[in-house]
Amino acid sequence: MNASLFPKLAVGGIKKNKRIYFPYMLTCIGMVMMYYIIGYLQNSKALENIPGASAIVSTMSFGCWVVAIFSCIFLFYTNSFLMRRRKKEFGLYNILGMGKRHIVRILVWESIITAIFSLVIGLLCGVGMSKLAELILINLMDGEITYSFDISLGSVFLTTSVFGSIFILIFLNSLRQIKFSSAVALLKSENTGEKPPKGNFILGFLGLGVLAAAYYIAITVADPVDAMGWFFIAVIMVIIGTYLIMIAGSVLFCRMLQKKKNYYYKPNHFVSVSSMVYRMKRNGAGLASICILATMVLVLVSTTTSLYFGVEDALNLRCPNDINVTLRSNNFEGENEKIISELRDKIISVADARSCKRTDIVDYRGVAAYSTIEGSNVKFTGVRDENNSSSVSLIYFVPIEDYNQTMGASESLSEEEVMLYAHGKKYSKETITFDGKKTFRVKKLADNFTKSGDLAVSVVPTLYVIVPNLDSSLDGIIKDGETYDGGIASNYWVYGFNSADCSEDEQLEIRDGILPFLRDLLDSDDDPGNGILSARIESKAAERQSFYSLYGTIFFLGIILSIVFIIAAVLIIYYKQISEGYEDASRFEIMQKVGMTKREIKRSINSQLLTVFFLPLMFAGVHLSFAFPLIRKILLLMNLQNVKLFAITTAVSFAVFALFYTVIYRMTSNAYYKIVSGATDRK
Amino acid sequence: MSILNVNGLKKVYSTRLGGNKVEALRNVTFSVEEGEYVAIMGESGSGKTTLLNILAALDRPTGGCVILDGKDLVTLKDSAIAAFRRDNLGFVFQDFNLLDTFTLEDNIYLPLVLAGTHHKEMKRRLDNIAKKLGIAELLKKYPYEVSGGQKQRAAVARALITGPRLILADEPTGALDSKSTDEMLRLFADINRGGQTILMVTHSIKAASRAGRVLFLGDGEVFHTLYRGNDTDEQMYQKISDTLTLISTGGDIK
Ligand SMILES: Nc1ncnc2c1ncn2[C@@H]1O[C@H](COP(=O)(O)OP(=O)(O)OP(=O)(O)O)[C@@H](O)[C@H]1O
Ligand SMILES: [Mg+2]
Repeated sequence: MNASLFPKLAVGGIKKNKRIYFPYMLTCIGMVMMYYIIGYLQNSKALENIPGASAIVSTMSFGCWVVAIFSCIFLFYTNSFLMRRRKKEFGLYNILGMGKRHIVRILVWESIITAIFSLVIGLLCGVGMSKLAELILINLMDGEITYSFDISLGSVFLTTSVFGSIFILIFLNSLRQIKFSSAVALLKSENTGEKPPKGNFILGFLGLGVLAAAYYIAITVADPVDAMGWFFIAVIMVIIGTYLIMIAGSVLFCRMLQKKKNYYYKPNHFVSVSSMVYRMKRNGAGLASICILATMVLVLVSTTTSLYFGVEDALNLRCPNDINVTLRSNNFEGENEKIISELRDKIISVADARSCKRTDIVDYRGVAAYSTIEGSNVKFTGVRDENNSSSVSLIYFVPIEDYNQTMGASESLSEEEVMLYAHGKKYSKETITFDGKKTFRVKKLADNFTKSGDLAVSVVPTLYVIVPNLDSSLDGIIKDGETYDGGIASNYWVYGFNSADCSEDEQLEIRDGILPFLRDLLDSDDDPGNGILSARIESKAAERQSFYSLYGTIFFLGIILSIVFIIAAVLIIYYKQISEGYEDASRFEIMQKVGMTKREIKRSINSQLLTVFFLPLMFAGVHLSFAFPLIRKILLLMNLQNVKLFAITTAVSFAVFALFYTVIYRMTSNAYYKIVSGATDRK
Repeated sequence: MSILNVNGLKKVYSTRLGGNKVEALRNVTFSVEEGEYVAIMGESGSGKTTLLNILAALDRPTGGCVILDGKDLVTLKDSAIAAFRRDNLGFVFQDFNLLDTFTLEDNIYLPLVLAGTHHKEMKRRLDNIAKKLGIAELLKKYPYEVSGGQKQRAAVARALITGPRLILADEPTGALDSKSTDEMLRLFADINRGGQTILMVTHSIKAASRAGRVLFLGDGEVFHTLYRGNDTDEQMYQKISDTLTLISTGGDIK
């Protein structure tokens, strides 16, 4: 046979099946493009100069993995659909005397054409779009925009090898299918599985049960730290449940409807219900996939958007003060007081040198130790026990004078009295005893205490114990940095202030001015044995930059991945409509002969398409609402406490997605109608 | 009383670009009396299916008129046609045209459901017909589970269940083996004896020989008609095959 025949046949085959081939190639192109862009951003020079750029590399390499794995699974799935239709053609070639060897050669050519076409166009689009993506990302990160244009050869190479491998795997899979089936089987492959589905009770109810359990988990998990782990379990359960319900449960439901004669034997229901059984059996998996993809997109978009737009909230939470210095030492001698007052003077002089007015000054000393609280007895545990974190509390002793000064209050306590401020875990006893040795009467519970950075993000419940005097009150409980049971306590000093009339640059200067003093304190060569364990300074201005880098990158990746998932969902929808179109065409022809008007047929089609189409969206909406409380808890860990913001972004995401989905529905159902009416209009 | 009047029927197919025109029917005129069993024969491509489609109002003629039960199908509005077809016509096709999504029972019910009949009434009618056609045991099965002959019987049941004025059959035995064919033809004869008017298109001499009258279609016209008179099936068979021989040898039979 003429060697040039095969490329021709391959091209002809692709052209003849362009209705299913082109969307497939478009998807390949889209995936290649996205992969290249993510790879490009990972190595981007322009992003390197932005503070916190290290977050980009790790986030983007995570994105690369997700896209690669998803593309692999997804392209396999869509290719199997393609092969179903192509097999018939191959079977015909086979019967007309073309050997399998020759068919394989056609297949090789088809694969090569598809792969090269997708890679070249995908990379070109990727290169073209990468700069735009970079600009968007820099903008999100509040960074400085550069206008150089370059191509990342590393990313080109990576993209080519990843997608080259995927295409080879797909080709091998097609090869396997051709090799192991006879000509007759090939010819018939499109019509196999005509058996009407039986409703499977066990699977249907199992799906319902699994989904209900996942929902139950989602709404009952209380602890934010646990939420993360449960989230993944719940996700897997929701995926399994959705598939089972869509595949088995829906058939079961239709079967039940068919049993109700008064309902079933009505013109509107008769055709719809019985066709639905077939639709769900054929496309249940596809619908479930659409539903899962839709849910993923919604979760991704709503969380990453609210994180990004909540970044100022998170920042305020993390850094309540523009400048915050925290000193930790295990020196309980009077020397510590000297270090503190010297440092305070230096900080004030640095700030005042820039004529920044210091407001909202926070200035308090304290002694902190980990403990477990049993009833009204506080038992010090020393180091934080990671295995037992849920029962551990941090105890923070603060002298009343510092409390009054920081809070602008004028409370007073007698020797046997304390005030409490509990964060995370309530304390409601009348008295409090430390290590069974010393008991205080709880005078009152304070409404508030300063929200220092540590407290804001602490996942450990914290109990502030305001004592009349640090030395005398702690005598007998904590001595020389040790509790009597050998647990370790440490001395804290927190100093913070706001300087609203200062620019960000000035604030950064203040931070840079204070930093050397802290280094001096830590430098044991200069001043050995001062007992300083750590000396930290937090500047809101500096934090802001890294917050924007991190959350901007996460937001960006969330959007990119959403686009990838949406492309996938659209393709599945399109294929579903096309394949149903071919199947339904002959059916509607018969119905017309039996006496259905075109209008009746169209109405019946419409109602079926609508039901089937919006089922995934409806499920996605329900999934999302049940996921809401769980995701909110996870966002808490990521410094987002603004429930309203999250609720709004979730609602907006859903509305926008539903709109988009409807547009897609409109467009793809046109393709469907074309196929169906192509068959009926001929008559 | 004649139930169907076809007068000067003409159908021209024009290809998409309008260039090539195929004249499938030129001038077809005939009528069918109530209770008659008429067969239409003709070579492949002589326009039999085209004629049947027009009679079924699935297609519109280029010219001429079709009067069914006093109504002009050509001028009937689109919206009325489907209901008219449902109430007055029954179809049997060569390839059965059963829906694979329905059981045989539901397939048979389909026209009644569309007409809004109550399910108890449907059941009553089906019980009658199913016994006559010998498919009572098969009703709960799906088309893919039964043989060709059984499928065709279900299709006949679907055509009969509305009590149509006229049954149109296009090669109803075309896809059946000889045993099933014989059964099917006996069935048609039985139904006809019960007063049902049947119009059947066929290639098969055997099938045509059961009819009361055979029309020969060619060159877009009915060019010959055979009447049974008092002939037996065998004599009718002989007459038809003689006629076909004459046609194929180019003899003049007019
Ligand atoms: N949709 C169409 N468009 C154009 N020409 C058509 C169309 N349908 C039928 N024809 C032509 O009209 C003529 C009659 O076709 P028809 O199908 O009625 O023949 P037939 O007698 O039923 O043949 P057979 O016995 O093979 O079924 C043929 O020449 C055919 O090519
Ligand atoms: Mg025909």
